[in-house]
Amino acid sequence: MNPQSQPSTPSYTINCRMTHEAAALERLCQVVRIRGFRIATMAVETAGEHLDIALTLEGTRPIAMLQSQLEKLHTVAEVALAAGSVARSRSA
Amino acid sequence: MNGAQHILDAFHRHNISTVFGYPGGCIMPLYDALVDDVGVEHVLCRHEQGCALAADGYARASGKLGVCIATSGPGATNLITGVANAHRDSIPMLVITGQVPSGLIGTDAFQETDVLGMTLGIVKHSYLIDDANSLPTIMEEAIELAQSGRPGPVWIDIPKDLLLSEAADAPFPQPEARETASTDLTEALAMLRAARKPLLYTGGGISLAHAEDSFRAFAESSALPAVVTLKGIGNPGKHNPYNLGMLGMHGSRAANKAVDECDLLLVIGARLDDRATGKLDGFAPNARMIHIDADAAEINKLRGADLAIRGDLNEILKSLADALQAEPLAISDWQKQCRTWHTTGGFHAADNDDPMAPITGPAFIRQLSRIAPDDTVIACDVGQHQMWVAQHYEFDHPRHHLTSGGLGTMGFGLPAAIGAQFADRNSTVINVTGDGSFMMNAQELATIRRYNLPVKLIVMDNQCLGMVRQQQELFYNNRESQINLDDNPDFVAMARAFDIPALHIERTDQIRRGIETILAYNGPMLLHVAISREENVWPIVKPGASNTDMIDETARTAKASKEQVA
Repeated sequence: MNPQSQPSTPSYTINCRMTHEAAALERLCQVVRIRGFRIATMAVETAGEHLDIALTLEGTRPIAMLQSQLEKLHTVAEVALAAGSVARSRSA
Repeated sequence: MNGAQHILDAFHRHNISTVFGYPGGCIMPLYDALVDDVGVEHVLCRHEQGCALAADGYARASGKLGVCIATSGPGATNLITGVANAHRDSIPMLVITGQVPSGLIGTDAFQETDVLGMTLGIVKHSYLIDDANSLPTIMEEAIELAQSGRPGPVWIDIPKDLLLSEAADAPFPQPEARETASTDLTEALAMLRAARKPLLYTGGGISLAHAEDSFRAFAESSALPAVVTLKGIGNPGKHNPYNLGMLGMHGSRAANKAVDECDLLLVIGARLDDRATGKLDGFAPNARMIHIDADAAEINKLRGADLAIRGDLNEILKSLADALQAEPLAISDWQKQCRTWHTTGGFHAADNDDPMAPITGPAFIRQLSRIAPDDTVIACDVGQHQMWVAQHYEFDHPRHHLTSGGLGTMGFGLPAAIGAQFADRNSTVINVTGDGSFMMNAQELATIRRYNLPVKLIVMDNQCLGMVRQQQELFYNNRESQINLDDNPDFVAMARAFDIPALHIERTDQIRRGIETILAYNGPMLLHVAISREENVWPIVKPGASNTDMIDETARTAKASKEQVA
């Protein structure tokens, strides 16, 4: 398919706090991928025993579905969708 | 105590008395500790997949935690299908694997695999232990986590050196109180009372929440017409007059018709799986929906609910039952309509009057249902026989029907039956399987023999992969591809090689005697049932189509005749 003919993909910013345990980031990324989103940017900071992760995600599925799946992870303490984060991203 | 002894200590504290496992290099310290332990019965299966599926079957039949143990590398990878099976059906399971010693992790050591990495998508949670002192606390957390909320498998991977290291006792945290539901039962009752055609739709969440009795009371007091998913079979009980049976791809016309016509769908402990709903756009098009579930992530996942209630199903169902007992619903016309549909479009396979006729799957299962005791546990495999059991066996309790719903794991039935028999050594447990599925874990016949389990095995043999053949016939222009199994071994001789007696039947007049013989036998026994290669499961909805577009044998025959004339 010609990339230029694809519809634009919604973009979201999610901030997530989770326990700094083995495979923490892999666990998070696996859920993002399998639930139909692509990571555009990712920033991680260590905060004591936690990781603070800021993600910019692209995907056409409802973001609430991903948010509830991330909240189910045992080591995720908080998932926040940044206000006004929903935007139409590049059409690629 | 060392790490291995702490694991056994946790088993004792949580009354875990039966575990399924297979030893190997990196898990040997735990097996060494088991030598001196008399409180835990370790069941040695013949393949790690058998261990995981047996633990799954044990959990399904008993309502308790299933536990399986394996070594690193291939031991762990062989567990994966069984653990994925438990994950998809939300079965509480604790998985313990040995790992190469801490200092060797990441060096491509002998029997090293990245178990934590490769299992992320099939567990509720997982741990790689990096400090022996954390093991006691993690064991507590894992056992609680596997069974709480929406249950699922929790995997603990433990390097061999940490199984041998001394670990300090840890203070065990008291489990947190269960989350209270944010319910709006008043609104739910108002919606039920306003509806003219309300329909109850339930799944495996009822038994996962141990809410079987509360549900039965609610179903009786509400007198709501009810449909069930594959995993919800048995929820309403075999004597409920409003039970329309299974909906979906191989559901009854009555159940799918009721869903299509209803104006309110009360979904309890079900996740609106695609095999149940068919094409979502055409599913319950006229209905508002109340969705009650323990898992918030299931609410609005596939279809928006008009009212969502998350919480403890026992409490919710009791409250609803009390309210409806006091003031019943006025839905007699709808009840009558549903019963008429059930009469004309339920599962009613006729017995074959010709005693010399070949055995058909539905007729055999109906006979089995009449003859087997009410509390018999049926552990199915996956394929046509699985659907015939779902359609024609009358279950009185959801824990009597063990089936691989989400993952559809061929080879599930035999080890699951072993697990169910360990859950209750006195119950009647029957593995109903097909020739394809049976060969996927046939090595576990040795486990049945070793423990002298009185599991009954019924192999419905059509010498092919019947469900695949059926779909190739119906949806791929009858182009058969790689489904032929006519070089199967002699299953009767095979069973006897494991010192398990066996019997072969092929005619209708042999069905009763065959079933009665295996049930009467004091020990394991196999019944080999030859059925036609050409037999199909009816009705069927084409994958991706709407449930209203059901195909049955009559429609197919009519189409074939029309094509012949044309």
